[in-house]
Amino acid sequence: MNEAATSHQVMPIEQISRPPGTCFPWERKKEEFPPIEGDEGLVKQIWEEIDTLGYLYIWQCLLSF
Amino acid sequence: MSDEKEKLYQERLQRYVTAMRNKKPDRIPIRPFVAEFTAKYAGYTCQEVTHDYRKAFDAACKCAADFDWDAVVPNMVYVWTGLTTAIGLTYYAIPGVHLPADKPFQYLEPPEEQAFMKPEEYDLLVADPTGYLYNVWLPRVSRDVVTPGEPATMRNNLAFVKGGMAMMRYFDAFGEQIARLRRESGTVSALAGILKAPFDIIADKLRGYKGLCMDLYRQPKKVEAACEALAPHLLKVALLTSDPNKQLPVGLWMHRGCMPFLSPQQFERFYWPTLKWIIEDLWRQGIQTLFYAEGEWNPNLKYIAQLPELSIIYHVDRGDIFEVYRTVGEKFCISGGIPNDLLAFGTPDEVREYCKKVIDGVARNGGYIMDASAIMQDDTKVENVRAMTEFTREYGVY
Repeated sequence: MNEAATSHQVMPIEQISRPPGTCFPWERKKEEFPPIEGDEGLVKQIWEEIDTLGYLYIWQCLLSF
Repeated sequence: MSDEKEKLYQERLQRYVTAMRNKKPDRIPIRPFVAEFTAKYAGYTCQEVTHDYRKAFDAACKCAADFDWDAVVPNMVYVWTGLTTAIGLTYYAIPGVHLPADKPFQYLEPPEEQAFMKPEEYDLLVADPTGYLYNVWLPRVSRDVVTPGEPATMRNNLAFVKGGMAMMRYFDAFGEQIARLRRESGTVSALAGILKAPFDIIADKLRGYKGLCMDLYRQPKKVEAACEALAPHLLKVALLTSDPNKQLPVGLWMHRGCMPFLSPQQFERFYWPTLKWIIEDLWRQGIQTLFYAEGEWNPNLKYIAQLPELSIIYHVDRGDIFEVYRTVGEKFCISGGIPNDLLAFGTPDEVREYCKKVIDGVARNGGYIMDASAIMQDDTKVENVRAMTEFTREYGVY
């Protein structure tokens, strides 16, 4: 593991702007990563897919349950 | 799946979609919104179908097969209290726990002073609706979730893990339930997706109806801003949960927009603009809305008439269905209108007579779906549902 990967700062999630469909936008999450050496698009895609589940969870709690 | 059942399914889907597009199918589709009625018919208690969704699914399948309906909601007893218990939600009275096992679940609105959102928090909600829900609302509505900044607890952690996993299990199970209805009885799933009006969400789950009514006078601009802030999120959820084939409508369940909860003037200012915006956007993307107008909505018909042609299926509860037909029948498919008190306390002959009146009055040119006025609970008589179904199947042929 390189140094950048261990010393990244974790951003307080409460201060992030969240568009519809999003809990933690990739553009902000990316800042916590070291430079991505492989396929950044893949990391972004999977992050956003799972982030949408977090979004749906709270809105489904509000709307359906 | 047998060829026979698949053929039946395709016929029913065609019938249902044709009616929803305000056209004339081969006969009137029958799509009853049956909730705790399914438990009564299948021999379960309300506790069983509310707390064990597998029994609710079984009951829905049994009703769909035995009554031979065209379309049903895969589980109209939608609130699975196993899930709400895992999250620690405090606003339900659960059959068999807080209520007798044979009583339907109840939503408990807190007293005004204990509303889940405080009157001074509109700006917080508007600035970041999703953050507000996670950081402020959820800790207030759950007995287990702690407010950010407070010490984490095991109960908090479990509420998220168990709540998330239970929700995923529940929604995944709907896929198989929909396939089962198709396979076993050729029944179509009636809806896909969830939508509520921004105003209703503030009334139901945030400020409470009484608190919101005070806000309409004390801080009306904040209420408008909150509706505008919630609308893009409610649209997003509707889109994320909608039918990818765009054949089935999104279910819009409305509570507080009608008389006497809001005057038409209040409706026009607070309720309607953001809801209209959502419905229009869904329709631009080819998605219809099942406009479940619970209560007496006829005073608001002039607003509903503003919606694009075919954008909604107008479900009539207590409004005069014949006036609805005269006002918006050219634009929208209509469903419902068979009074629940008649289905609960009337006779099969009276039910047949009323169904004839509705069919003759609003359905002769197509664009009508047979159903009760409101969701049918366990007070609905089986023989009356059978009369409604059999009469429509015989008399509702075009």
